Amino acid sequence: MVSLKNQNTAYIDGEPFSYEDGDTVLNFVDRHHGRGQVPTLCDAPQLEPYGACRVCSVEIALEEEGPRRVVASCHTPLSDGLWVFTESKNIRNLRKNIVELVLTDHPLDCLTCEVNGNCELQTVAAKVGIRDVRYPEGDNHLDRTKDLSHPYMTSDLSKCINCSRCVRACDEVQGSMVLSMHGRGFEARIIKGADVSFEDSPCVSCGACSQACPTSAISDVFASKSIEATDTTRTVCTYCGVGCNLEVSTKGNEVLSIQAPVDSEVNNSHTCLKGRYAFRFYNHPDRIRTPMIRTNGHFEEATWEEAYDHIAENLTRIKNEHGPDSIAGISSARCTNEENYLMQKFIRAVIGTNNIDCCARVCHSPTAFGMQQAFGTGAATNSVEDLKYTDCILIIGANPTQGHPVTGSKIKQRLMKGVPGIIIDPRKIEIGPYAKYHLQLRPGTNVALLNMFSYYIWEAGLVDQDFIQNRCEDWEKYEAGLKNLDLDELESIHGVDRELVKAAALEYGSAEAAMEFHGLGVTEHTQGAKTVMLIANLAMMTGNIGRPGCGVNPLRGQNNVQGAADMGCQPHQGAGYMPVNTPENHKLYEEFYGMPMSDEIGLKIPQMFESARNGSLKALYLMGEDVVQTDPNSEAVKESMNALDFLVVQEIFMTETAQYANVILPASSFLEKSGTFTNAERRIQKVQATVEPLEGTKPDGQIIVEIMNRMGYDQPAYTPDGMLEEISQVVPFFAGVKWEELGLNGKQWPVTKDGKDTQLLHVDGFRRGLGKFHFFEWQESNETKTNLSEELPFVLTTGRLLEHYNCGTMTRRTANGLIVTKDVLAVNPEDATKKGVETGDHVRLFSARGEVELEVSVSDEVKPGILYTTFHFPENMVNNVTSDEHCGDTLCPEYKISSVNFEKILDEPGKSGVAVAETVMVK
Amino acid sequence: MSKNISALSFRKGIEKNYFERMVDAAEETGTAETTETVKSLADEYLVGEAITLGAVSFYDFLKKENEGKKVFLCNGSACLCAGTQDQLQTDIESHFPKEEIGHICCLGRCHEGGAFHYEDQNFSGLESGALENLFKNGEGDSSDNYAVGTNLPTPVLTADFPGIESYYAPFKKLIADNDRDALFEELKVSKLRGRGGAGFPLSFKWQSCRDVPNNPKYIVCNADEGDPGAYIDKYLMEKQPHAVLYGMMVAGWFAGSEVGILYIRKEYPDSITIINKAIEDLHAAGLLGDDICGSGFNFKLKTVKGAGAYICGEETALLASLEGARPEVRVRPPFPTVEGLFRKPTIVNNVETFANIPFIVESGGDAFASIGTPDSTGPKLVSLDANFNTPGIYEVAMGTPVTEVVEDLGGGFKVPVKAIQVGGPLGGIVPTEKIKELSIDFESFKNGGFLLGHAGIVSIPESFPMIRYIEHMFEFTGDESCGKCFPCRLGSVRGKELAQKAQNEDYKIDPVLMQDLLNTMQFTSLCALGGGVPLPIQNALQYFEDELKQYFQGETTQAPA
Repeated sequence: MVSLKNQNTAYIDGEPFSYEDGDTVLNFVDRHHGRGQVPTLCDAPQLEPYGACRVCSVEIALEEEGPRRVVASCHTPLSDGLWVFTESKNIRNLRKNIVELVLTDHPLDCLTCEVNGNCELQTVAAKVGIRDVRYPEGDNHLDRTKDLSHPYMTSDLSKCINCSRCVRACDEVQGSMVLSMHGRGFEARIIKGADVSFEDSPCVSCGACSQACPTSAISDVFASKSIEATDTTRTVCTYCGVGCNLEVSTKGNEVLSIQAPVDSEVNNSHTCLKGRYAFRFYNHPDRIRTPMIRTNGHFEEATWEEAYDHIAENLTRIKNEHGPDSIAGISSARCTNEENYLMQKFIRAVIGTNNIDCCARVCHSPTAFGMQQAFGTGAATNSVEDLKYTDCILIIGANPTQGHPVTGSKIKQRLMKGVPGIIIDPRKIEIGPYAKYHLQLRPGTNVALLNMFSYYIWEAGLVDQDFIQNRCEDWEKYEAGLKNLDLDELESIHGVDRELVKAAALEYGSAEAAMEFHGLGVTEHTQGAKTVMLIANLAMMTGNIGRPGCGVNPLRGQNNVQGAADMGCQPHQGAGYMPVNTPENHKLYEEFYGMPMSDEIGLKIPQMFESARNGSLKALYLMGEDVVQTDPNSEAVKESMNALDFLVVQEIFMTETAQYANVILPASSFLEKSGTFTNAERRIQKVQATVEPLEGTKPDGQIIVEIMNRMGYDQPAYTPDGMLEEISQVVPFFAGVKWEELGLNGKQWPVTKDGKDTQLLHVDGFRRGLGKFHFFEWQESNETKTNLSEELPFVLTTGRLLEHYNCGTMTRRTANGLIVTKDVLAVNPEDATKKGVETGDHVRLFSARGEVELEVSVSDEVKPGILYTTFHFPENMVNNVTSDEHCGDTLCPEYKISSVNFEKILDEPGKSGVAVAETVMVK
Repeated sequence: MSKNISALSFRKGIEKNYFERMVDAAEETGTAETTETVKSLADEYLVGEAITLGAVSFYDFLKKENEGKKVFLCNGSACLCAGTQDQLQTDIESHFPKEEIGHICCLGRCHEGGAFHYEDQNFSGLESGALENLFKNGEGDSSDNYAVGTNLPTPVLTADFPGIESYYAPFKKLIADNDRDALFEELKVSKLRGRGGAGFPLSFKWQSCRDVPNNPKYIVCNADEGDPGAYIDKYLMEKQPHAVLYGMMVAGWFAGSEVGILYIRKEYPDSITIINKAIEDLHAAGLLGDDICGSGFNFKLKTVKGAGAYICGEETALLASLEGARPEVRVRPPFPTVEGLFRKPTIVNNVETFANIPFIVESGGDAFASIGTPDSTGPKLVSLDANFNTPGIYEVAMGTPVTEVVEDLGGGFKVPVKAIQVGGPLGGIVPTEKIKELSIDFESFKNGGFLLGHAGIVSIPESFPMIRYIEHMFEFTGDESCGKCFPCRLGSVRGKELAQKAQNEDYKIDPVLMQDLLNTMQFTSLCALGGGVPLPIQNALQYFEDELKQYFQGETTQAPA
């Protein structure tokens, strides 16, 4: 055979193949002969090479006939011209002997085992040809008992082969380090936490261990590795904006379990417990299964025809009587791009108003607006992948391991490994201790802190003059603003030691590539959009735009909040972000939709509520939004709902808001529909129906199309490919998006006509031409200026937990409701002492708007004077106390600041109405 | 293997060392496996409780079972062959309840036998009266006395220490001249090979660490001399501490490291004390600290006490241990010179290896290479066990016939001996008739089908059944296996069970199964523990077939070819 030295060639069983730099022998053989040709028990694609099982042993030689050496292929680097022998007699014997040893301490009950037919040990044993175990019966661990303590995770360590895959998954994938080996040698065994059960351990039930386990030693209650399923379908998670891919196993029309595809670029093999385990809401008995019409004050079941007629009649009547602007629609960031596109088209082209908005209003509307002002595009500049290349991570007002768990894990992994992190947050968060700096500012003072932060970068001369000169405008104005800052005043406003701010600023300013992430702690303030612009300043002044490992990266809340905005679900911009009030755009949209349309900017959500209360808004069409529980100042929202002449709610459950509807339409969940979601890094990914819609329900897109048709508009039937085809003709950055070309991992917009996508924005220039600097002074929120007083001396800030999603409509109807059962109020120990409360006590928390009752957790996660809670449970209705203050630019509500007080409730907790979740588990 | 644990442990570094904290926590009660310790260390070092618990439960002296243990008997092969431990056990049981008696593997009292560890001190060779006095009155002689000799005209490793001033004069000159390339040449010419057992060329290792640009770098002295029968490193640390420290200082200067760490087993309490004193003396003499002798070279040394785990003598396990991770063997590459302690470039050498450096610095590589054979240069220390007439530490030139060591230096055997095991539990078993064919050097042993290893010598008496010795070797491996790789974790236990069953039951071992087991362990184990133990067992099966065949099917120890 001809020798092919120095051409990245090596030989597998005598045949030459090309290898890639960095290949191990196992990668190399896998690529050319498929996974499994060389068997292994401890290696997994999502984990680092480990070298424990030795089953992947092969022989290598430098010459074809040269002396051979046995090596474990998983951790042996390939070298040029290496001869690899995978199937020699010697190797076959060695492998067989190892597996025989494994079977001396493994139950031989395959036929009754949960993973029979999908067990890697079983597969490997069959491959190596084990017939019997020759060793006499000896010491073993077959009597280990099962751990069934946890709502999701299970273990049966009698099946454990000590490959440590679970331990490594918990460490390398999730980053929680809840699992380890205990003891050594033959007695080494897996432990959870301090050698407790799954339930008592700090396990976050991400399931990475279960997926990694080659046997059924660690599994889950859904037996996700069993072969019971008849089909698997790849789709995208419905929870947060990370956009994890899911592999859904089904049998007939039932979802059995969910795993995470290893080849997903977003989440290779990882998800959080919501994505992997919290799916049983989809066929929960509470699902609405028939349209309902309110008649004489109560709901009566109706046919779809009756419901559609009722809606069409009423909307037509109101439009005729009060004009199209008396009607509004709120779309859903939980729905697909195609459904959002249809919803705004329905409101704009069929109703004839720009009164369309979506829940981005209450979360990242300031991000979209602020980044549009600075860069011209309101979306993440970089990709999460860029974490691999960054030298500094700045996180402002976000709690990624809770809110965006898979991205959170990736961030935590980098911080643990020593990439300097800067956290700007009023609260201590999980990743805080791993970050180098935590600037624990007073809520509502982001602008003051960021101004000081920028000042120190400027003062130290760490500004990128080239970038500023060539790529930006208005630097001089901004610089003038920085020069005039009063640092003493700023320090007293935000309450963080200026030296700490300075050190963090210099860390960011001097990093080769610094990457920023932010969440709702930035946006949900009266200066939300302004804060976003200050963040954009920071990135521009240090040249952290247009390169890998840097940028401004909002952590988007809902699975498709990016997409809902892209599709035009906002009152001032249509599909593709073109302003609706310029003549050329107005003409473009009218021609494209073939209908006369309004050229006036419509109402934002808070304006809709206000207009309802003052009588000018008569009808509201809500798709998948529970505004009563999630929007601030619940009492005022309820008043708005009551004031409406006609309310349509398209929902999967009877929500707080649906109670006020005139018509309720039963929609389908993400597991029952197809389309696309766009994640926080602009990645358009395929959502594919895993089961048929639950009987009596329809996908939202289909409902909207049928209503449009009913109201006389000729909209073709809902199909994801057909809809994408239409969208690609009007949304410029979707120009090359085709359903059939999205592949397994989707495409990041902009996608040019030839189908090429974009990982990194603003490489050579900004969308708006030059990046624009803005200077803003800090302004105190009216909420603290007006209401913070002796009567209301505390500032309440709110956030979310890992286990529940938003108002919990879905997660509370899964076993997540058994893991976290209530919202809890965090109180600093100093304040707790003053108020005489302890952990577990119940308090009445009140503001100028209303009150709620909550259980207390005394914790130093908040500073004195600050309180923190979540808003997942309708039993607690935390938004009773939040205010009507909004971001001055976008009307995004200021959830993050409320002036409040609290007092201990002396009655029995049960009486005070603090109830546990109404979770109903379905098996 | 966890990069996260390495990085998190690195944050506190070697000063507030995670592992050291575990060891300290066990000082009072004998265990670090307590809820409070695990929780507080997990919180402080930002790792999970499972991680801390997983680590402390690994070590003999940290795990829960060690709590309340007062006295520890050596169960290493030298004491086993000395035949002293059954009586000792009986004697000690008259003073302590059984649950307060633990075991320990090798205290380096192999020259005497009857070794045990009590109140942080080692004792050996005490008669029952002396034991009584020790346990009742707290009076006992813990001193360690053995012969030290050499056949070299000018001793190198056993030479008298002339005092810090003159001893370190060549070192001062070295760092003042500041020519690392010149030192590299000397090291290369010396052909010094690692003395820990593997015999890896030192100049190559040092240069590869020097070439890595990353900082910080570490120099680690592997003083976890766990081989039963070996007390060579113990001798050097206790009698020649400056030779070792000097070697580390040269390594630090050469590779660009400012920190040297000696990982010394807890079983050698005197070594720790003496080394610490020597480090203090060096500080006082201005030879450690910042800007040493105005050269710009900063270096400090620190000892870290081990916690009872033979596997920590394996360099990657030792580094994992120092990080506070479970001391499980890591895959190579990356090699420690590139990613060692805390994943930073690290030179790990054995005590004796470092101790050879001063001679090379002072006399040059040629002078070193002139001792020994062309491929095994320099002197070598050997340690002889209690079955010799004059047991002790002997310095010989590499290439010295083993007969000379056994007969001339060791004075022959006290009792009839059928074999010697050279190089620890993973070294070969040399039947007495083969001794004359071997010389003390890597090649001779390798060519003879044995292993020089660290060159501790244990004599197996005629009266000691070889099947029991095989059981002992499997058992030792099983007890000390980290448990990471399957062949070692499972194979060692199954091997022990086969040997036990053959002795205690009507069971004959299938020679094919035994051969399969040994091949599997030898060729597929991750490290030299599982990979090494088959060698002495193969030797035993080959050379003691007559004695062993009764335990095998078909009356033969050998599998058909």
